[in-house]
Amino acid sequence: MSFASSASSPPPDFEVASAFPEAVRLRQDAAAGDWTSVRQYVDSLPQGTDRAFAVRVLAEVPGVEQSLRELVATAPDDVFALTVLGAREIEIGWEIRTAARAEDVGHEQFAAFHAHLREAEKRLIRATALDPSHDAAWAERLNTARGLELGQNEARRRYDRLAAHHPHHFTGQARLLQQLCPKWGGSWQAAHGFAQECLRGAPDGALNGGLVAEAHLEHWLELREGRERTEYLRQPHVHAELVEAAERSVAHPHYRPTYGWVTVQGCFAALFSLIGDRARAAAHFRALGNLASEYPWSYLGKPADAYVKHRDAALAPG
Amino acid sequence: MNPQAAVHRTETDGIPTLFAQAAGPMRAGLVFRVGVADETLARAGVTHLVEHLALHRQGLADYHFNGATKAAFTHFHVEGSEHEVVAYLQGVCASLAALPMERLETEKEILRTEESRRETPQLPLWRYGAQGYGLVSYPEWGVRNLGPQDVEAWAQTWFTQGNAVLWVAGERLPAGLTLRLPAGPRRSLPAVTSALPATPAYFSDGTGGVLLDAVVTDSTAARLYAGVLERELSRALRQEGGYSYTAATDYTARRDGFALVTAFADALPAKQDAVLGGFVDVLAGLQAGRIGQGDLDAVRTRADSALAAPDAAVLRLPGAAEDLLAGRPSRTLDELRAELRAVTPEDLHTVAVEAAGTALMQVPGGHSADWAGYTEAPTGSSYAVTGRRFASRSRDGSALIVGEEGVSVTAGARDGTEHAATVPYRACAAMLSWPDGGRRLIGTDGLVVDLEPGLYGVDAHTMATVDAAVPPTAVVWMPPRQRTPAPEPGPAPDGSGASRAGSPGRAAPTRRTGGQTATLVVFGLLSALFAFLALSFTVFGADDPETSTGEWLAIAGFMWGLTGLLAWPAVGVLRRTRRM
Repeated sequence: MSFASSASSPPPDFEVASAFPEAVRLRQDAAAGDWTSVRQYVDSLPQGTDRAFAVRVLAEVPGVEQSLRELVATAPDDVFALTVLGAREIEIGWEIRTAARAEDVGHEQFAAFHAHLREAEKRLIRATALDPSHDAAWAERLNTARGLELGQNEARRRYDRLAAHHPHHFTGQARLLQQLCPKWGGSWQAAHGFAQECLRGAPDGALNGGLVAEAHLEHWLELREGRERTEYLRQPHVHAELVEAAERSVAHPHYRPTYGWVTVQGCFAALFSLIGDRARAAAHFRALGNLASEYPWSYLGKPADAYVKHRDAALAPG
Repeated sequence: MNPQAAVHRTETDGIPTLFAQAAGPMRAGLVFRVGVADETLARAGVTHLVEHLALHRQGLADYHFNGATKAAFTHFHVEGSEHEVVAYLQGVCASLAALPMERLETEKEILRTEESRRETPQLPLWRYGAQGYGLVSYPEWGVRNLGPQDVEAWAQTWFTQGNAVLWVAGERLPAGLTLRLPAGPRRSLPAVTSALPATPAYFSDGTGGVLLDAVVTDSTAARLYAGVLERELSRALRQEGGYSYTAATDYTARRDGFALVTAFADALPAKQDAVLGGFVDVLAGLQAGRIGQGDLDAVRTRADSALAAPDAAVLRLPGAAEDLLAGRPSRTLDELRAELRAVTPEDLHTVAVEAAGTALMQVPGGHSADWAGYTEAPTGSSYAVTGRRFASRSRDGSALIVGEEGVSVTAGARDGTEHAATVPYRACAAMLSWPDGGRRLIGTDGLVVDLEPGLYGVDAHTMATVDAAVPPTAVVWMPPRQRTPAPEPGPAPDGSGASRAGSPGRAAPTRRTGGQTATLVVFGLLSALFAFLALSFTVFGADDPETSTGEWLAIAGFMWGLTGLLAWPAVGVLRRTRRM
């Protein structure tokens, strides 16, 4: 069953560069090993920009670790290079581990995964030691803490070090939220509590309210398909929290589409659609145009198919 | 210039003597270049026993005196009027020359009582093994079997005129002091052994905080590094995070040109992961060169005021005596103050890098530090001996192997690999021998093999070959045990039962038995607070604490009170823990 071929509904665009064209330049520069140009761009970003986004884009460029290792060998105190190299090692590790559930991951896969995370952590420890205010380095250390299973308090400590300099860091908050979910040793109380904390602490129109939606989506996914999930979303407080979170973030007049907005709009669109609030789902789909990110749509089936199904249902006349 | 700052060097009956002018009661100490690190595991405690016997004739004198046996030095010191000091020192020398052997059994009993109240640090064992400086981690097993001739011979060998230094602080050198000691040569420092194939290293044990030591070049910069490290740990773990109540460091010169920086942070059980993470980051910050001029200046000022204090020269005398015995150059207070002024943040950075390379970290049980670049310290041997194999009657997959060169215990881990602990007879530091036939062999690397005939079905003939193979000097005869280990039905005999869930590969071969582990944190807390107290007197006095056994116990008693108030769960664990 596919709705993607319908002429009235163009296929969703999962390309990051469609929302943020600078990703093209970052990838090209990184692939060419032109770190001077990359650095120029990242340094030119306004104060308070979530630099974890750029680091993630760079870390996904295949083979980029080669030139980064050379760079770090000659400049061991280069915080940015250490951070991107750390992020790249994490990326390589996850490519080996895959996103499968732990019981489906082989012993050797896990060993290689952990080896890359330890390598990453070594770089990142140095990065945060040299510059404790570097947001992207701390955000990556939330990933290593989770993958190496260093513990809930250690993850929280790392987030607190990040928040000391960047109190509303969306990527950092999203990563801690993952850690706080039961699948990584947390609890639903902790996850929802933290999401609310992020919402209430954030300025109007900021993306942070999207974490309330992420928490509900994670909770929904952990339940059994069918009645359990439906009943979860039918709870009035879930809908009310989502409405409030959307109104204070992506539906607020002060909202600007900063790094991460496609994911946040997608989460609200998906959840309102699952709940059956077609009007609200439609508003978020309209804001998205046809842009999409893997998360949350990979939780709902094949991402492109799920996106189209929910969008067409939301935008259908009547 | 402070006239009391000068230390004069003279001689008393051929014994080098350090004198400093000081008002008030006279203080003096006789220091020998001998300590626990000169012993062997099977004869551990002999120095302490000599110290006790030498003090016995002082009886119930009402002036203050005491003795202290450290890793490489033994101190006798006294405070009182001139004639009391003379009487004490001459009495100690007379006793050392002719030990009151009629007291031997009673003093052994006293040592056992003392031992039951003392907690031992674990880091030395992991760093140095069951020999040399590592012996401070072990019970005084040797005391039990020592006869009068053994003790006599030890005293004659080590407590000699050539191996002693006297220090005196007072208005003048006491008149009419004669110190008669047997002749003998100055002894070199104990060999520094290693049980760590790679550093930085870690081991996980205990229920509390994080403890670390590192070997650094002994210098003024290194002393200040320890102070700055303490400030950073307190700031990160106590003030910012609220994960720890206590964060402290200590600096102990080994007198061989190197020193040990020790750092400790306690942790509530629920916060152990964050304490470990914060600890790692504090070290990384210093290693990356993030050293605040303000922190350095604060530590420097505290150190300088200690050096400028009226009693600075006096407080340094016991340490200066150790330096003299070790052949280390001495420096005046003014030289030290000049060194202090010259230290820069870059100097501390150099120390931090050196410390990072030699560090040994103890992390709470269930945690690791491999993610932070620390190598796991060995908890097993790289091989098992070949010989007769006895499978465990518990069917837990473990087995005992008795060979011609030594004994091994092996256990399968969950990942299918086999782990072994081996003690070769030629490297057997001690064999504990119980009347019921049980044996425990401890290798010089600290690894342990328990040979329980009942658990493995070992025949009497095989046991006899082991007894014959272990050198007699390594045997420790133990009193009867309350309970002989008996086989318990284990889990499925597929080898998986050998390792406990979550700790693959840590099955049978471990360094110590569980009983000793839980106490470490409490010790760490005590020693850290003790170090803090010592520091508050004088930074430079901290490494030569003139702590007699009595003072130590008094301070430890106070700390116990404090520890109790803090209500650490570890205290409960400690009290339930029975020593081996």
